[in-house]
Amino acid sequence: MDTIKAVFDYTLREHVRSRAWLSAALFGLVLLGAGAIASVLAVNERGRMVLDLGLAAILAIGLVSMVFLTVRLVLQEIESRAVFLILTHPVRRWHYLLGRFFGTLAAVAIGMAGMGLVHWLLLEAFGWAPAGSYALAWVSILGQVALMGALALLLSLALTSEAAAMAFSVFFWVLGHFTPELRYIAERSGSGPLRGLILAFARAAPDFSRLDYAGARHAGTPAAWAAWAVLYVLAYGTACLALSAELFEQKEF
Amino acid sequence: MPAARALAVFALSAVVAVAVDGPLGRLSRRFPPLTELPATPFCAQDAALVELGFRAAAADLAWVQMLEYMGNGLPQLPDAPGHPYAHIAVLASRIVSLDPSFHRAYLYGASVLGWFPQVARPEQAVALLQEGLRRDPGQRLYLLYIAALAYKKEGDVPKMIALLDSTLKDPGTPTLMKEILANLYKSQGRYAKALEIWRDILDDPAAASDHPRARLQIEEIRALEAAGRGS
Amino acid sequence: MKVLALRGVRKVYRRSHLGRLTETVGLDGLDLEVERGEVFGLLGLNGSGKTTAIKLLMGLHLPTCGTVEVFGKPVPDIESLARIGYAPEAAYLNRALTGRENIRLFAALSRIPACEREARVLAMLRRVGLERGMDQRLSEYSKGMLQRVSLAQALIHEPELVILDEPVTGLDPLAIKEVRALILWLKGKGKSVLFSSHDISEVEKVCDRIGILSGGRLARVMTQEEWQGRPGALEEAFAASVTRTDGVGEIRLD
Repeated sequence: MDTIKAVFDYTLREHVRSRAWLSAALFGLVLLGAGAIASVLAVNERGRMVLDLGLAAILAIGLVSMVFLTVRLVLQEIESRAVFLILTHPVRRWHYLLGRFFGTLAAVAIGMAGMGLVHWLLLEAFGWAPAGSYALAWVSILGQVALMGALALLLSLALTSEAAAMAFSVFFWVLGHFTPELRYIAERSGSGPLRGLILAFARAAPDFSRLDYAGARHAGTPAAWAAWAVLYVLAYGTACLALSAELFEQKEF
Repeated sequence: MPAARALAVFALSAVVAVAVDGPLGRLSRRFPPLTELPATPFCAQDAALVELGFRAAAADLAWVQMLEYMGNGLPQLPDAPGHPYAHIAVLASRIVSLDPSFHRAYLYGASVLGWFPQVARPEQAVALLQEGLRRDPGQRLYLLYIAALAYKKEGDVPKMIALLDSTLKDPGTPTLMKEILANLYKSQGRYAKALEIWRDILDDPAAASDHPRARLQIEEIRALEAAGRGS
Repeated sequence: MKVLALRGVRKVYRRSHLGRLTETVGLDGLDLEVERGEVFGLLGLNGSGKTTAIKLLMGLHLPTCGTVEVFGKPVPDIESLARIGYAPEAAYLNRALTGRENIRLFAALSRIPACEREARVLAMLRRVGLERGMDQRLSEYSKGMLQRVSLAQALIHEPELVILDEPVTGLDPLAIKEVRALILWLKGKGKSVLFSSHDISEVEKVCDRIGILSGGRLARVMTQEEWQGRPGALEEAFAASVTRTDGVGEIRLD
């Protein structure tokens, strides 16, 4: 645990000090402001629009930062050979990988938390407090971001090219939102094997539509939904990290 | 981590993820598939936003576009001469296909379809409200509007007005419906009630865009009142 | 007692590009042993396999065949790594962190107890002469300063075996002198040192034994007695033992 914490600490510090992180956080705040201004157009639904656009901005900034950082997380350290010095100390490779991943997630989460706080204060100040739990909405976004990060890390290690990993991450993100359509197509396909094939394909990517808090907010059981959603994120994320650890274990530097 | 252990962790967590998928799917709200989106010139915009994970924002944008259509019209959806607001049903349907819980879109669409004399398509209004009942249960306004439309169809205007009046204090009631009701009161010569509604609109910061109209209406109704007293 | 041993080690690098497989032999049956407490120098031309041998010892590469052992245990072994200090040919350090943060990180990775860590980090930074610049980020460090941080991270956990990959390459004469003193100081403390170099004059000043690598094999091993008091002996032995394998021909002066 000590080694994971040591890698976690330096990864977090490295990201928080980077100019890109600060720019992303500032850009996020600009997006929140732009959303608040644009919401004038929504008339009666101004509160809803500020809420939705704000959450969308947090998701967009969190997601782009996470995918961008995780795709380069290990590859860049291999390229700069900084990984040499870490791995020639008594550090298990999967400890290194977990420390790097969670350090990055923490850095992104801090940025998202800053945006979330400003957003929430904005909603409160104008009396647009959301009907559901804002915290749960924020956590559901963090879950999606974490899951995409784990997937992006796996892709970066499997493809060993930042550009390819980035492209495939976007593909999986879109596929994860296309799942309801794939299920719909599967339900209507006459052939059993074809149906199975489509459903298997649909399962390859995490079903992000199910992790969307806006969907559960109106289902009436947010606590139960949240519990299952957390379990889903943990299970899918662990599967990605386990495969990443295995790929990283095979790597020579 | 030894390879065997890593693969065992992967297999176990993959099994758990697949097992959790079922209960999570039952608890999550099912959004209509994109195939159910009504055909509009905005299909590509909607599909792109949904597939990128911004469904709620896509619905908000569709809502703004509907308001724009009602205000100044949309170049993508021109109305034929003499047929104003012909696309209101499809635009309302677009919003609720993107976000079935957007209850104000059902109510706004139904208000225009049911009570705008230039539109006068109450059947479509009822169909939209019934869709709301199906997709977004628990909203009492849908039922009340359906009932009000039924009274309208029967020509029982006083009952219809009474029913709509009972919805005024509901926070979900669109400003548009308040304005429709105020106009109904005005047309019946019940100026005090009409004034009360317009003043409420004037006091509502969320309805800021309707404030100029409210001020005009208040002036007009006061003039009518004065004229009534004078005659 | 041997601190490290490579027996019949062969390392082949395979690269596939557009379906075309190319193979490069890094090591070709290397046998090498280093005794406890000795300073062993690996001499060789570019591409002779010095860095490959070191990477195999550090577990960064896996041998294609043969065995690699450190402290009697096959590599990679986490427990053995806790007893080795390694400084690569360039300071591959995190430039976003300060000197102190870097050494603190490696102290934590080397399992130095948290209660002792800070004192040892400061002592080590003082030892390598970085107490003044320790809170500057590495992006502001000079090459010499980076090299000192690299040495500090290799020594922070007081390893029994120190492996230095080309430690004097690119350093100024004063820094070279300091590195030489450091190696002798380590020897004085009973540590084993393995280092690689091109520089024959440096190797002969500090080593107990040297191994000349050529074409991925150990062409010759010499003890101090064989070159001490015989100027040019090591250079002659080196020239006689090595052949260029990097595809570069001689400079012609005719």
